[in-house]
Amino acid sequence: MSSALAKGSSSRFAAPSKNDMTAASQSTATATPLLHPIQIKPNPLAQSARHAFPALLAGLFVVRFRALVADPVWAMATTLMLSAVLQVAYAVICLPPAGSSQGGAARAARKPRPGEKKRVGFESAAGPNAIATSLLSLILSGLVTPFLYICLVLFGAPFLTHTAHTLLCAAHLSVLALFPLFYVHGVDAVSWAAVGGFSAPLDETFGGLVGALVGAWLGAVPIPLDWDRDWQKWPVTILCGLYAGYLLGRELGGSSLVWGKRF
Amino acid sequence: MPPPQPTPKKAVPAPDYKTVAAQWAAAKRAKEIEDADRKDVDDEKEDRGQVSEREQRRARLEAARKAGYQARWLWTTGFWVWMTCIHLVGIACFTSGFLLTRLVLEDKARCDEPPTGNSSVPHLLPAWPGKGTVDGGCWHPRTFERAVIVVIDALRYDFTVPVEDNAPFHNAFPFMYETAVREPRNAFLRPFIADPPTSTLQRLKGLTTGTLPTFVDLGSSFSGTAIEEDNLLMQLRDAGKRIVHLGDDTWEALFPGYFVGNLSRAYDSFNVWDLHTVDNGVMEHIFPLMSRKDEWTLLVGHCLGVDHAGHRYGPNHPEMTKKLRQMDDFIRRLAATVDDKTLLVVMGDHGMDEKGDHGGESDDEVQAALWMYSPKGIFGRTKPEYVVPPSTAKIRPVNQIDLVPTLALLLGIPIPFNNLGRPIEEAFAGADGTAWENLAAVERMTAAGIKRYQTSYFTVRGIEQSSAPGSPADLWDKAEALISKGGKLDWAAVFSAFASYQEGTLRRCKELWARFDLKNMITGIVIMALGVIVLLLYVASGGDDDVIDDPELDLAERTLELQGVKADAEVAPSDLDKRLVSPALLGALPGFFGGVIHSFVSGEGDWYRGSTLAALTSIATVMVSMPDVRIAAWNILPKTLWGWLALVFTISQSVGFASNSYTIWEDSILLFFMTTFGFITALSALRLPSLADRYLSIYHSVLFVLLGRLASFSKLCREEQMPYCSSTYYASSTSSTSAPWQLVIPFLVCIILPSIIKAYLQQTRSYEGLAPSWIGYVFRTGLFMSALYWLLDSADNGNWIPGLPDKTVKTISVYTAQMVLGLALVAGTTAFIWAPPCVSIVTSALPSQPGKAQVAILGYANAHGARYLLLPLNILGACFLLSKPMGAGALGVMIWQILSLLEILDLNNLSTSPIGPVMLAVLGTFHFFKTGHQAVLSSIQWDSAFIPLFTIRYPYTPIIVALNTLAGQILATSAVPLLVLWKAGPKRKRVLESVSRALGAFVAYFAVESLATMLWAGHLRRHLMLYRVFSPRFMTAAVALLAVDVVVIVVALAGVRVNTMAVGEVFGWAE
Repeated sequence: MSSALAKGSSSRFAAPSKNDMTAASQSTATATPLLHPIQIKPNPLAQSARHAFPALLAGLFVVRFRALVADPVWAMATTLMLSAVLQVAYAVICLPPAGSSQGGAARAARKPRPGEKKRVGFESAAGPNAIATSLLSLILSGLVTPFLYICLVLFGAPFLTHTAHTLLCAAHLSVLALFPLFYVHGVDAVSWAAVGGFSAPLDETFGGLVGALVGAWLGAVPIPLDWDRDWQKWPVTILCGLYAGYLLGRELGGSSLVWGKRF
Repeated sequence: MPPPQPTPKKAVPAPDYKTVAAQWAAAKRAKEIEDADRKDVDDEKEDRGQVSEREQRRARLEAARKAGYQARWLWTTGFWVWMTCIHLVGIACFTSGFLLTRLVLEDKARCDEPPTGNSSVPHLLPAWPGKGTVDGGCWHPRTFERAVIVVIDALRYDFTVPVEDNAPFHNAFPFMYETAVREPRNAFLRPFIADPPTSTLQRLKGLTTGTLPTFVDLGSSFSGTAIEEDNLLMQLRDAGKRIVHLGDDTWEALFPGYFVGNLSRAYDSFNVWDLHTVDNGVMEHIFPLMSRKDEWTLLVGHCLGVDHAGHRYGPNHPEMTKKLRQMDDFIRRLAATVDDKTLLVVMGDHGMDEKGDHGGESDDEVQAALWMYSPKGIFGRTKPEYVVPPSTAKIRPVNQIDLVPTLALLLGIPIPFNNLGRPIEEAFAGADGTAWENLAAVERMTAAGIKRYQTSYFTVRGIEQSSAPGSPADLWDKAEALISKGGKLDWAAVFSAFASYQEGTLRRCKELWARFDLKNMITGIVIMALGVIVLLLYVASGGDDDVIDDPELDLAERTLELQGVKADAEVAPSDLDKRLVSPALLGALPGFFGGVIHSFVSGEGDWYRGSTLAALTSIATVMVSMPDVRIAAWNILPKTLWGWLALVFTISQSVGFASNSYTIWEDSILLFFMTTFGFITALSALRLPSLADRYLSIYHSVLFVLLGRLASFSKLCREEQMPYCSSTYYASSTSSTSAPWQLVIPFLVCIILPSIIKAYLQQTRSYEGLAPSWIGYVFRTGLFMSALYWLLDSADNGNWIPGLPDKTVKTISVYTAQMVLGLALVAGTTAFIWAPPCVSIVTSALPSQPGKAQVAILGYANAHGARYLLLPLNILGACFLLSKPMGAGALGVMIWQILSLLEILDLNNLSTSPIGPVMLAVLGTFHFFKTGHQAVLSSIQWDSAFIPLFTIRYPYTPIIVALNTLAGQILATSAVPLLVLWKAGPKRKRVLESVSRALGAFVAYFAVESLATMLWAGHLRRHLMLYRVFSPRFMTAAVALLAVDVVVIVVALAGVRVNTMAVGEVFGWAE
């Protein structure tokens, strides 16, 4: 994944126009500030929904928790559907889709270069379509799930057993943390390099990613304990950490305390 | 886009011929000037004088630099020796308080002084002929004139009873079970529970004295000290009886001079490869003795074959079946020679775990079997269902110490003074199982002995005995009251009353002897903690002298020096080590003498006081004389993400040692940390400005993580990890041999690894000098021969080539192993000392000016690192042989991971960050687990001692076992200097100081781990899991720390010295 993104950025700098020469040579220094934090749409619906959706997600997780402990695979599969629906609704209502005047972050402040081709992707001539963008983002989230699965295995998840468990856990991570980022950034290499390098400004989407990663990481902590509780099952604790971390990160990232700040 | 890099990347050479050349060109210019001067020297005589003067000055400067370097090296080494001493004293001090001690009473039981002597009813039994004499029976009528005791080492209970499965170790030894069922009056078989630790020496002490072992004795398992306490053999000897011993020579060590010289035969006990010598010796000599019964009273035969088969192959092996069948036949024949006056006892001194090892306290290790046989027909059962021996060791077990009063009373001798066991029911219940009066009498006699011992013990220790209800004293009074009542006694009730007294006392003693000396423990912890602080200050105090590697500046400086502008040889910069070592010594002296004098004056005479006081005063003076302590203290707190990461890994793991779960699952946790590190470096690579660097960094990070996960498939599970873990280290979970497919692994490593190392070296054109021949041929040959060794070993174990004379394959394999070790350690060290730097000088035409020649030095940019790499490779060569095939694969992966780590650190400009040493330490600890070890005593692979040797030989055997056990940590330690040296050109300044600081961070990780395990083991000293989890983890951490300290001095620092000298001789001395 990362290599593909890096390739994208390399092609951008491979043949800069003459005028841009100085800018390009300093691009490493100047490109970062171009990435703006994502603002929630200013309409009242979005402003009220931004807090309603986290509450709904948290409620969903709490309600499904018992089922999750009893039968992780089935519960994760069904919860994944509902979470995905909630995330899509959240994205459509609250977030600016990639390529819109306010979304697509990195693009926003930059004038199109002379002779630059129109970017293909979500940005159709008529402006981005929220539904299409969200569906494409959902597909992208699905596509990166196997990579996340491999990451989980590398961290020590079971290799040959519990495949469904781990895969569903990866899917949850993808739908929660990556889907909003796909929605607002599309597949823009520069933005993703900033997100991946943790140099993006904090906002709801990036804060959610950081929170989800840290939460899932901490979720592994209780697994080895010999308490013999049902909820220590793989991957219940990871999922708990993931949801808690994501919601916390998203709320914090969107709050005026840290919004726009960088690591 | 990534943010601008705050610090410009230091001159990391691109893997490009021209860059290397350009770098060298600057340095070469100085030389050219001189060369030019030299050519024109005929023209001007004046110049000649100038030149020669300059030459002389240069030579003087070089010599001064060299001498300065050697002096600094000595001071640095001095600091590390001091640090090692501090660690040693801290650990010794804690250990002396932590490992349990029991006061040994010198009292002896006497035939004419039964313990019931003072009671109103001295004897429950009516008087018998010869009462009060050994021949009639001191405290109980004598039943047998003599006894034959056969110890079958590691005879686990389930080996002796029918089990419905096809395991090779089941149903192969049916004789004892059959006799117990067929002739219950002649024989009985019961589970025989050992008190841990389950090492033979400890067990023999328990089996002859009747006391509980304490942990502190475990350390003497390899030296074997004579038993001073009252014991069965001492009683017999003092009564003028003759004792004969055959087999395991541990007996000779424990009972020197006890045995009849011309009849006894002792055999070497630690040669675990040899399954038959000891057993054949016992069998050869025992039968002639059976026909000369009047020449001895006690005959001890100790067979080791079963134990050795367990150690060597694990129980699940055809050799074990063979061995058990042989024992079955042996006992069958022996029983046939036993007469009415002789008692035959067959027992295991401990069991074995599922891999055939022992030492701990798991069920399989403590459950041995006990069988007694005599054609006299005196054995009885108090209940009919007791006739059939228990199907598992959980049912009706007897304690091993119970053998002591049983044998003493049956043979008519007094019960040893310190005994805590009780008589075994079957031996005294009469043939019909109704002799309750006899049972009550022996139980009371034993209990009285225990009471007498307890009273003396408490008097000596000055402790009050509790008499609360339920306490042993209370139970005793109740039991005595039953007797003094007089009239018709309920013997069964009397029996059980005294039995409960014995049980209560035993329980109490077990608690009591878990006594810790808190003062020593706390002193040890304080010394260790202060040591860690000094180490951290040491690491932090030089953090800001970031070395500027600027060839131009360097050149200018040199020129000035040569012209004499700069004052002569002000080489010695602030040498921290020098400033620390002298106060350390000065501070130690008053403490040491004060302590020693005090301990002599106060009459305690222990060496602890001197050394601990010396350590404390020494640390105090060092701290006082630390320059800029406040700045350094401030520097300890990490300032970057990487510093925090290093801190989080170290601290969270140390905190985790407070929980048995995190200690048990340490290997998974280490993998988790390594993967976390790899992910973060991969992500942070996105911030690198250069795309090529980004790709490389991501590539190496992913590689690092993937290799870690690959290595994690090599697992040796500890008992507590079950059922969530399956071992892959050996052929099966009940074996300690490798599966055939595992034998392929070393061959694969031999093919792949040298090429990988070559690829890493070629990046900087450093595959020059000795490297191609050493890595490509010698190192590869060593790996190949190691692989061959393991193939031969399996061929030997599995007897793949039938028809060869005995031991042919073993002989060949041992010499192969010796050659590998000679190659890696002797030839390797010699080569490392004499090797030139891994560079090569090439002259070519300048592309711009075809007339002029261009001199380029290949491998210049990595002159230090490439050459030093040969040293860890030599260590790897030795460890590779000494680890089993699976572990050899893990070590191959480890060196690859180390190389990746070096690249990651270099690309991210982290060569001075503490994350490098900490990751290396994590890597080393991780591979400790991946080479088939766990933090438990039973996972020590003793059999590795016989890879290059036929018998135990000091000092080689302990070194070999240490190289096997701590291969991961040792390899990691030897690789620490690479963190600084990798991609460091010859002009890199202050190499030694940077290396010493990296070593400081590395050792700090292990010191913090030791400190944490000490703290937790001390804090949780009453925890149920103390001996299973916390104590072994403390011992592992302490041993690892001391080993790392030694390797730091002997390998890392010495290696850096040799390396710098070699580079300095060629390129001139950097400061």
